[in-house]
Amino acid sequence: MHRPVLAAVLATAFASPSAAAETQVFELPDGARPHDVAPAPDGLVWYTAQRQGALGILDPATGAVRHVPLGEGSAPHGVIQGPDGAAWITDSGLNAIVRYDPASEAVDVWPLPEQTGYANLNTSAFDGAGTLWFTGQNGIYGQLVPATGKMEVYAAPEGRGPYGIAATPAGEVYFVSLAGSYLARIDQESGKAQVIEPPTPDQGARRVWSDSAGRLWISEWNSGQLSRYDPASGAWAAWKLPGDGPKAYAVYVDERDIVWVSDFGSNAVFAFDPASERFTRYPMSEEGANVRQILGRAGEVWLPESATDRLMVIRTATP
Amino acid sequence: MRRAAAAALALLLASGGAAGDSLVAEGERLFAYCYACHSLVPGEANLPGPNLAGIVGGPVAAQEDFRYSPAMLRFAQSEGRWTEPLLDLFLADPEAAVAGTWMSAPSLAPEERAALIAYLRASTGVQ
Repeated sequence: MHRPVLAAVLATAFASPSAAAETQVFELPDGARPHDVAPAPDGLVWYTAQRQGALGILDPATGAVRHVPLGEGSAPHGVIQGPDGAAWITDSGLNAIVRYDPASEAVDVWPLPEQTGYANLNTSAFDGAGTLWFTGQNGIYGQLVPATGKMEVYAAPEGRGPYGIAATPAGEVYFVSLAGSYLARIDQESGKAQVIEPPTPDQGARRVWSDSAGRLWISEWNSGQLSRYDPASGAWAAWKLPGDGPKAYAVYVDERDIVWVSDFGSNAVFAFDPASERFTRYPMSEEGANVRQILGRAGEVWLPESATDRLMVIRTATP
Repeated sequence: MRRAAAAALALLLASGGAAGDSLVAEGERLFAYCYACHSLVPGEANLPGPNLAGIVGGPVAAQEDFRYSPAMLRFAQSEGRWTEPLLDLFLADPEAAVAGTWMSAPSLAPEERAALIAYLRASTGVQ
């Protein structure tokens, strides 16, 4: 069952450094609580229906939605598209990595090693060698080699907190710790995590993404900042989000190196242009929408609104 | 696994007596869902969610140094205290019970919520 596309509305950017963009909102099944989103093959879009234990599949051309059940006890948090075209899901309910094959519709499950305990799995990213790296907010990170099924789990520095994880274009992997307030680089040979302390103390680094040059962009929940770390120089920079009391949750860098960051404080998503250092604001579809993750593909930025059971897309104008 | 656990809990609830300890133990296991963001250690306040020591029966949104969502602050104005029924309602679907709250949570069966609340109640003031 699905409801039709809610609306197609004109862009709402102001103080814009670039041309206006178009937004569109899609209704999802009641109670789906979409947490993360990922563009899928054939123009489709996946999302994690966290409270319904399913992978959601949206066809933006028609607004049609269907749910693929992931198993009893499932509570999927993150989803990305792997190099194999499959959906790779960090399922906090199953305490497992889950793969959904869009061609065969097969669902495969790799449980964490029993001795790991409950990890509160969060997010994953593929490195340049095709290994999946993942975080667990209860204090772990780990790797899964899809070809062999070999999985390793490591205790995270400072315990609980590992949240967002991302790979650079060169295939290096970094994660951030929300409770630990740090950025970490994973040595893919040894599996060790090297902590890189941001200059702002207790900033609450929640998610991380790489730009085309391998610089890491971080959404800081506690400080309300968007920060940037350049591994080549070791230099940090930070920008406070506009408004009173911003709370930066998700971050994503698009194909133009425009940085997108969601703000719970103002119920909006901002596009940040590093060249002009200006923010463009896009309000969400309803008050308290809660955009917990952002992902896109060329010309499209996808925003799951967990509180409203909607997906919003911003179709970016050609720069 | 979750269905089996829920069935076992239902039996424990029906039998009463020593079931309380088992209920609290199950709630302790379920607190792993909350652990990344919340602490039951009084004074531990450097986590993404508020400290939960004394949450059962305590005032809503009352941690002085914690930044609550506007929705939760409005909820505190209307509800006052976390009674057990109110906690159960909130844990059933936080974003439905308090529209606009910043907290998200996986789905919990009624028996699991009862166990978690029992653990929260029993753990008040844990050092």
